[in-house]
Amino acid sequence: MLALMRTMLLIRSVEAAWADAYRAEEISGIPPSLSIGHEAIAAGACAALVDGDFVFTTHRGQAAQVARGLEPRRILADLYCRRSGYNKGKSYHVTDVSRGVIGMGGIVAAQVPVAGGMALAQKMRGTDRVSLAFFGDGASNEGAVHESANLAAMWTLPLILLCENNGYCITQRDSEAIKAPSIAGRAAAYGLPGVVVDGADPLAVRDAVAEAAARARSGAGASLIEARCERLTGHLVHDPQCYRSTEELDAAWRRCPILLYGQRLESMDLLDQEGLSRLRGEVDAEVAAAVGWARAQPFPALHEAYEDIWA
Amino acid sequence: MNEVRVETTMFDTRLFRPAGPVKPGERDWPSFRGAINLAMREEMRRDPFVFQMGEDIASASPFGVTSGLVSEFGRERIRDAPCAEVAIVGAAVGAAIGGMRPIVEFQFGDFMSVAIDQLTHQAAMLRYLTGGQVRVPMVIRLPCGGGQGAGAQHSQSLYSWFAHVPGIKVVLPSTSMDAKALMKAAIRDDNPVLFFEHKQLYRTRWPVSAAFHDPDHVGEFGRAIVRREGTAISVVATLTMVHHALAAAAALAEEGISVEVIDPLTLVPFDTATVVDSVRKTGRLLVVDEAYLNFGVQAEVIATVVERAFDSLEASPRRLGNPGVPVPFAAPLQDDVLPGQARIAAAIRDLVRA
Repeated sequence: MLALMRTMLLIRSVEAAWADAYRAEEISGIPPSLSIGHEAIAAGACAALVDGDFVFTTHRGQAAQVARGLEPRRILADLYCRRSGYNKGKSYHVTDVSRGVIGMGGIVAAQVPVAGGMALAQKMRGTDRVSLAFFGDGASNEGAVHESANLAAMWTLPLILLCENNGYCITQRDSEAIKAPSIAGRAAAYGLPGVVVDGADPLAVRDAVAEAAARARSGAGASLIEARCERLTGHLVHDPQCYRSTEELDAAWRRCPILLYGQRLESMDLLDQEGLSRLRGEVDAEVAAAVGWARAQPFPALHEAYEDIWA
Repeated sequence: MNEVRVETTMFDTRLFRPAGPVKPGERDWPSFRGAINLAMREEMRRDPFVFQMGEDIASASPFGVTSGLVSEFGRERIRDAPCAEVAIVGAAVGAAIGGMRPIVEFQFGDFMSVAIDQLTHQAAMLRYLTGGQVRVPMVIRLPCGGGQGAGAQHSQSLYSWFAHVPGIKVVLPSTSMDAKALMKAAIRDDNPVLFFEHKQLYRTRWPVSAAFHDPDHVGEFGRAIVRREGTAISVVATLTMVHHALAAAAALAEEGISVEVIDPLTLVPFDTATVVDSVRKTGRLLVVDEAYLNFGVQAEVIATVVERAFDSLEASPRRLGNPGVPVPFAAPLQDDVLPGQARIAAAIRDLVRA
């Protein structure tokens, strides 16, 4: 249980470092898309997976990358556009095939059909491994998700559709984009099980994903999980969220997964405030060292722009 | 009008209808669709990771290209898919990353528009975006072309859309021999490959060399074929237009005009050297393709030659293609829009006299 807290703190710290780098104009380009508020979903989901399973990320993919055990310093190297990053400076959707992370998210929902294909490969190759597609409430309205959910149901694919519903598609409230009371409710129409879980609770997410993974590994097929969370920062770092009231944002921060899980661990006598501070200090020091390392890495050489197009 | 109509009936104009009797002289020649079928069958026997997805490919293959494969390979490897092109192409991308070698059939290549993101942004880019961590070996088979009254949304030749973006190989076979060899190369390639199959060619039969029957004979991308040698003009043509150009060349030979006909076979990679060398020899260039002319494949070939062999040109290069209208449903209109033998011959005469 403490490991989940450490993972969530590490995610938060990596995101803060990335945001700081952008604000300090150490990095340029498209502003960071932070997963602050989503930490419990990534930490809980990845705790239920094993080596050989694959996750396909959204454009807020850093949480899952950290939770799958990718090195923060190499993630940061990618975010700093350095050649020592996993993607060698060619995309900020960090991929590490060896740890089962395919970084996607440049096109909303496009990772979901691809995750279905990986699940098909896992099934056809006779493995008991599963694929998990993260996607947002915005993506849930894309045809790619509907087609993939139906295909996964028809072909009994070992696929977990994990919707991170943070309530906003950029500036649009989910209630203005989705008529139904839940996204998970759509599962019935696909012929899949669907559940809503508290996305601020890493244990609830872990248990739901573990159940879906067990179902997938047993050959029973796909599942849809809707994990509800709060997007605590803007769509991208430069977004001050003027479209949300102070009261709403205050309420959202009271649902901060790290705050809530910290209170829970404290109530169970597993981690007191001092222990939490110590853990946070360790994690922040690790990330500070990672930032130092990333900053010192070289940019890709110009000839690398012309490489990696063809296999 | 009637003269033009004769041109497009050079091939099969009867969409979906059963084949007529085989001409006695062609009995031993493999059909175009049979050649593709054989290539896929051989590769599926050779490599257990090759499998297929598409609508109706197991139960009732629309153009007969996958006929009989399900009885040998079963429904796990010949997968009838729901009508969901985005999910199917995405499934191919993911399966390819996961170590499989998917082949996808679209009933009509025009439908690629429905799933273009999964092709151009995912299949074609993921290797680059991941710094070379993944491979995406997949083939999408796209029946294309007009001349069968299939209407505007079932008759197009859209390869320039995909040759335009990085990361996709584009194959345009024109006979049974190269259809088989290039399909085998496509399946063995570690990159996304689009395999355009002109629907008018499916039931045509072509003489082949002994290598056709060799399961280890695999074609090579980026190698054009000079279908006919000549000295007065170079004609670059694709798919059925290769055969229209050859017919025009044969007729013009009787007028004393010596025409060289080049079939590029693949647009990506493109065999620039063969085309440029030919133009350096002839000094004249005509490019013929069914595709829309605007910003199209014809223009790209001409630009490529002009950049490299401007000094050799004795006349302005010319291009033939669809002038920029949806392919009409009514046969007389359709046949007027698409190029063919008579129009090719007229353009050659103009160029040679210029």
